[in-house]
Amino acid sequence: MVITGSALFIEPGTMDAVLEKLRRFHEVTFHVHSESGTELVVNLEADDTTDLESLCSRLKEEIHQIVDITHIYVNFEDEIERMQAGPAR
Amino acid sequence: MNMTRREMIKLSAAAFAAGALNIPVDRDAGAAGDRIEVDKWVKGSCRFCGTGCGVYIGVRQGKVVGVRGNPEAQTNFGFLCVKGFKGYMSMYHPDRLKYPLVRGADGKYKRVSWNEALDLVCKKFKELQQKFGKDAVAFYGSGQCMTEESYTFNKLWKGGFGSNMVEGNPRLCMASAVGGYVTTFGTDEPAGAYSDIEKARTFFIVGSNMSECHPIIFRRIARRKLKDPDLINVIVCEPRLTSTARIADVWLPADPGTDLAVFHCMARELIKNGWTDKWFIENLCRFNTGKQVVDFKAYVEFLEQFTPEAVEKKTRCPAANIKEAARLFGSQGPTMSLWTMGLNQRTRGVWANNLVHNLHLITGNICVDGADSFSLTGQPNACGGVRETGALSHLLPGTRPVTIPEVRDQVEKAWGLPPGKIDPNPGAHTMQMFASLGAESDAKKPIKGMLITTTNPAQSLPNGHKYWKGMKEAFLVVLDIFPTRTTQFADVILPAAFIYEKGGVYGCSERRSQLTSKCVDPPGEAKPDLWIGAQIAKRMGFEKLIPWNGDDPRTAYKMAWDDYRNCVKLTEHTIFGMTYERLEKSEAGLQWPCPDEKSPGTERRYVRGRDPIMDMPQIVKVPSSARIYFYGDKNHEGKANVFLRPYKGAEEPPDDEYNFFLTTGRVIEQWHSGTMTMRVPEIARSQPNAYVEINPTDAEKHRIRNGDLVKITSRRGFCILPARVVKVSLPGILFVPWFDQDWDRMINRVTIDAFDAGSKQPEFKICAVKISRFGDPKDVADMKIISSVDEPFPVKV
Repeated sequence: MVITGSALFIEPGTMDAVLEKLRRFHEVTFHVHSESGTELVVNLEADDTTDLESLCSRLKEEIHQIVDITHIYVNFEDEIERMQAGPAR
Repeated sequence: MNMTRREMIKLSAAAFAAGALNIPVDRDAGAAGDRIEVDKWVKGSCRFCGTGCGVYIGVRQGKVVGVRGNPEAQTNFGFLCVKGFKGYMSMYHPDRLKYPLVRGADGKYKRVSWNEALDLVCKKFKELQQKFGKDAVAFYGSGQCMTEESYTFNKLWKGGFGSNMVEGNPRLCMASAVGGYVTTFGTDEPAGAYSDIEKARTFFIVGSNMSECHPIIFRRIARRKLKDPDLINVIVCEPRLTSTARIADVWLPADPGTDLAVFHCMARELIKNGWTDKWFIENLCRFNTGKQVVDFKAYVEFLEQFTPEAVEKKTRCPAANIKEAARLFGSQGPTMSLWTMGLNQRTRGVWANNLVHNLHLITGNICVDGADSFSLTGQPNACGGVRETGALSHLLPGTRPVTIPEVRDQVEKAWGLPPGKIDPNPGAHTMQMFASLGAESDAKKPIKGMLITTTNPAQSLPNGHKYWKGMKEAFLVVLDIFPTRTTQFADVILPAAFIYEKGGVYGCSERRSQLTSKCVDPPGEAKPDLWIGAQIAKRMGFEKLIPWNGDDPRTAYKMAWDDYRNCVKLTEHTIFGMTYERLEKSEAGLQWPCPDEKSPGTERRYVRGRDPIMDMPQIVKVPSSARIYFYGDKNHEGKANVFLRPYKGAEEPPDDEYNFFLTTGRVIEQWHSGTMTMRVPEIARSQPNAYVEINPTDAEKHRIRNGDLVKITSRRGFCILPARVVKVSLPGILFVPWFDQDWDRMINRVTIDAFDAGSKQPEFKICAVKISRFGDPKDVADMKIISSVDEPFPVKV
């Protein structure tokens, strides 16, 4: 399980529309936004980092007002143990 | 408050993110930050790119289990990119080199003890030096080594062996920026800092796909642009319509290698429209052809040839865009320019740097808040580790030329050497060094042995064909954490520790040094580079010169750092006030000049009241009346040079046969030759192979469809890559990322090794190629890595 503290950078004036669309994503928890309304602080939850990448791609594809997504904190949980067990290539 | 563990983690993660964004959060969430399950959080910096992002490494039961951005870091304010938060995971890849290896007579590697490996290396180095002279053994380092490591190897070679055969991969990425700063301002590195980003109104981003190569810096700019789109202006000068250009007001799509004309044209427009600073021009600018000093009038006359219309014909960059860029640059300041390899990796790299500096000097867009001419460095410690410690063939610590007798004298005294020990002649630069590397029996190759650390020249040198034989036939010692194309040529492989397994100082683009503390132990018998260097010194009779050969990394690295601090104490680059204790306590690190322990460091150079060097006559004399003074000026007038550089294009422009420009670069997910990032499965999967970007018009002409295999051929070699048919590049321009280790896709088989006459930096960014459709689409997402040290190089060399 991977849990992030992430920032969604969105186009000016689109916050309400973005928040509305985010409701469709149960893996996304919205916390707070910047004064300008162009930065949203969210949690993203995913089974693993591959799933996280996929979630980010879907967010960008389905919510075109998202300019960028950046993860500021990532809790990897058991990812390291899996790495040590061998590359999942 | 009754929370589940999952809720606690979510809230804590959100609190960190909000803190980084300066968004107020509720107190409970903030307090939860310390309750995430790790044994300790260790402060450090990211080991990718030159931004210098501050991080905290989470350690549990002796393993790194998490990473978070450091909200107090003045570089990234807590933000991290994909490499920053995932790249460290490569530490735990099963391919890690854990034991010293020596190649046997059968060509296979055999595990040996450290004593056996080091004794063999030193015996061979001594033998080569005795037989062929002190310069027969070279050092080739990296902008990813810790500062203490680069300093140590540099000291061992120059002070111990008396040889200047010291180079590093920053020659391939930043040498032209150094040349630009030194020729214009008389001294290396920027006047300002990243903090100018929050104060600038106009950004001139040139030769940099910042959104992929320096994503955190891009994010700082993007935040400003998105927050206030009408006030903030962004100009992007770059032949590809990259993701960076998405936030641009003006795009200047000049053909590769032609932007010198664009910069001169902008200068012409600035002067014609009065968007200049008369006081700055009269008091702080010296107009210089490179051969003689001329006056402002001569500069104006020189620029007359660069009309917007003439420049459009030469460059394909629309005249109207250049005019608008000049207007924004000159009238909507303060203006900050940022660039990287697009300017540097050129045969006219120094000149390109000079001409960007020109724009700042004639408009007074430097030495004031929000205005700077700022080179972004490519690697995490190219500035701090290699440029500043002088770990290049022509330099000594403090980025000072080895050719200057007073500099040699001072360094000899600092190192306790007899006068005359340091060779006054520069050693071979990187391309010359590898061209001179070869077998003992080859009389044309004077360099017979080399120690390479933390870099992969067999993949990263341009026109690789020319240099592989030398690497194979010479006595090659390679320090690394994984097998690479370079270890395939090694005689001895020494397993190195990752940054978080040893600690040390990195110095980023903005003159900021940050200390990383050791977090965990290295795997197997892997050792820090510093220990390896000091052990070699000890075995070769230089223990007095390099006494930090103990097993405790913190003690050894601190000793090396203190030695370095003392060596550059009375230089413009002084870091004397940056003690380990201060750096350990500081969340953000310190910027030089930092002459004493009370100094808060220097955000802005050359300005009285802000730069301590202005009032340190023991280092440089500055008139008491001077408010701004470029004290690196060799003429002691406090002026910077505005250069009248003639227009010259690329070394190998397209012609009838090789009719495309090829340009190469990075992508956001991968780092350099991919040896680390390709071992993080998620990163590897997201960018599993190199490709060629081709404009739809060109693709149609050559009957190439998306995914088809394309053969790219230059005068030096060929590659076969899948096509990405996109409008990103202009017609006639191809782009290929260079991270891929796969033989068919290793693009430096194709690139040109011509180099800048001043900086000696090769022209990775431009060569002429032809293309042909090679075959139908094929799955090449093989995420190639070299897993075994015994995997042979793909061809006989």
